[in-house]
Amino acid sequence: MEKANIYAGQLFVLMFIFELGSALLIPLGIEAKQDVWLAIFFGMLGGLLLFFVHLRLHLYYPDKTPPEFVKELLGKFFGTVVACIYTVYFLYIAARVLRDFGEMLVTFAYNETPLFIVNALFLLTVVYGVYKGIEVIARTGELLFVILYALAIAGFVLVVVSGLIDFSYLQPVLEDGFKPVLQTVFTETWYVPFGEIIVFTMIYPYVKNKKAMKKAGIIAILLSGVNLIVTMSINIAVLGVELTARTQFPLLNTIHSIQIAEFLERLDVFFMIALIIGGFIKISLFFYAGVISVSVICNVKNKSKLVYPIGIVVLFISLTQASSYAEHMYEGITIVPLYMHLPLQVIVPVFLLIVAFIKNRHKKEQSL
Amino acid sequence: MKRVTTWISGLLLLFLAGCWSSQELPDLALISAVGMDATGDGQYAATFQVINPGNVAGEGTLSRGGSESPPVTTYSSTGPTMTEVNRRVSEKVSRRPYYAHTNLLVVGEQLAREEGLEKVFDAFERDPEFRTTTRVIIAEGTTAGEFVTALTSLDKIPANKVIKTLETTESFWGEHKDTNMREVLKHVGQSGHEPLVSIFTLHGDEEKGKKIDNIQTTSPEARLEATGMAVMQDGKMIDRISNEASRGALWVLDDIQKTAVSLDWKGQKDALVFQIVRNKTDVSVRIQDNLPVFDIQVSTEGEVGEAHVPINVSNPFLSGTVEKKSGEEIKKIIEQAVAKAQELQTDYLGFGELLHRKDPKLWRKLEKTWNEDHFPTVEVNVNADAYIRRSGLRNEPTFSEDVE
Repeated sequence: MEKANIYAGQLFVLMFIFELGSALLIPLGIEAKQDVWLAIFFGMLGGLLLFFVHLRLHLYYPDKTPPEFVKELLGKFFGTVVACIYTVYFLYIAARVLRDFGEMLVTFAYNETPLFIVNALFLLTVVYGVYKGIEVIARTGELLFVILYALAIAGFVLVVVSGLIDFSYLQPVLEDGFKPVLQTVFTETWYVPFGEIIVFTMIYPYVKNKKAMKKAGIIAILLSGVNLIVTMSINIAVLGVELTARTQFPLLNTIHSIQIAEFLERLDVFFMIALIIGGFIKISLFFYAGVISVSVICNVKNKSKLVYPIGIVVLFISLTQASSYAEHMYEGITIVPLYMHLPLQVIVPVFLLIVAFIKNRHKKEQSL
Repeated sequence: MKRVTTWISGLLLLFLAGCWSSQELPDLALISAVGMDATGDGQYAATFQVINPGNVAGEGTLSRGGSESPPVTTYSSTGPTMTEVNRRVSEKVSRRPYYAHTNLLVVGEQLAREEGLEKVFDAFERDPEFRTTTRVIIAEGTTAGEFVTALTSLDKIPANKVIKTLETTESFWGEHKDTNMREVLKHVGQSGHEPLVSIFTLHGDEEKGKKIDNIQTTSPEARLEATGMAVMQDGKMIDRISNEASRGALWVLDDIQKTAVSLDWKGQKDALVFQIVRNKTDVSVRIQDNLPVFDIQVSTEGEVGEAHVPINVSNPFLSGTVEKKSGEEIKKIIEQAVAKAQELQTDYLGFGELLHRKDPKLWRKLEKTWNEDHFPTVEVNVNADAYIRRSGLRNEPTFSEDVE
């Protein structure tokens, strides 16, 4: 853990961009068809629940990062094991998100550029940000937040003005009942993007004002949830369910569809900038969490020394974890949520909270 | 550390220059339209309309450097798949084909009928350079190849001529729909609303249409004209509709912006014209005895555009009668169009989609055989309300002997 201080407003900005990050890119929760907004809504509520679990756990050890306090909770051996698993998890997800963005850029804009180059350049900025520390990332986030929101509002206005939106595509509501919606929630939207806030447990110790922190987290989750609902609903209203499900990047298609007065068209740049911002923050935070975990576990005082080597590891994981985009997506949809997200975002934190609760109650009894 | 950073920054300059797979403008062939045909032996033929930049720039100055060559050049090639055809054309063009500015995709009638649009679309849809906002039309009576080779006056680039014609006629007369690829794709994958695609015909002499002479006369020998709309099922063209049938269909789809309806008055045919300025169509569905019933409610507003009978249209009592007559006429057009769609057993009016939204359970039962069994027998009620607000600059026509 480095010596740093970020305030609640910055945490809010980071959480907000983090949640939008790659969720804006993909057809999030499209298995729920036109009820995707419900799936995201329930995912958001689930995310809030997880946020409270993480927060409670954090408040038992307000100045310590998870790898430090799990040792106290589970003993030295098991604590280290759990911390190691989380480290791998954070770095793997950082690599996954990096791959997501690299694939997007290669598919859509840089067809002839090797993935390695795209990923390497992207990661280089991330590595630099993490090298500079969390305060710098947070300040960058504040700046990018303004740009992101300006783009989002401009894009929204343009889509509305171009008259593409047909909200009747969002009907019928709950065609097949709640089952497909809940299935989507429990296999996708709960974990990505909402459950991923687990990474912020590494950031919470830097925020001194815990009350404001709680507020910032709640608002960030709600606001990003609403934004995702609006975005996915517009995608469906413009493209229809079938086309949205068939495209790799629905938002890109929606923005492609904008044609106003013969000259306001081909606004792909909007999409690109918004995504690069989201991707940068998301990868940075996962990467940062991974680096800090390693430095805590291995007792490295100066974490800057770790940034470059771990960066290279992440870069190579991002390239070797799947040989094609199809494989990458298959892993992301069928394997990762069930075997990584569910245990590490939900089960382990809840278990740790129970342990912490029992342990601390015991302590209190002793002190009495 | 500082030295490392300096080195990295220096290296970055190499990568960030953005020269990876860069394309110089003079090395690109800007394709304005693509014409796709089936050759009959299982192969495809594509014709690419490439813009000659020098002959398009400087519009208005005809005698610029004495260059009298046409604004576009066409190249064609054949092959078993779209991608192969698109790549093979490089044998003939000196530049790399560039699709980002392709605004028009012309599909030959034979290809549309036999293979369907999906097959054509897939390659274009996948390609990030090509846009789904590209307009799609079907060329009838000629091949798509011949169609894109014809030169047009007024608009230098033939593709632009077609697009502007579509846009204008959709909003001014309302027999043709300006459909782009995204809209067609949206409906192809979805049951209960089949897409409609506009049909264009090349009138006149195909050979003369290719010569620059064609655009140097006041009455071109070869002309591109919108002539109807193709009815699609499962992505394949199965029939065509035109005139009132297509106008009525657009009326149901609420795509009518402006148009005109002729009315009979006291036994005299086409005596009055009702010009529509604003139109709103609402289609609703209700379930009766487990079967859907569709109600079409049209509210339209307009003015009298022509009067050939002695009638004082500014008389508020008389205009009520004219309004009623206009409403009836519109109702007739729509009813005929619905009957036509039912006869063709193709739901391009979007009724199925509407039912899907209203009653998903019932829809699931009917979905499989909707086009064949249920749609043709479904009950449709039409009600049209017309409102006349103005009568142009005159109130009575000239022969005002016995004005009512």
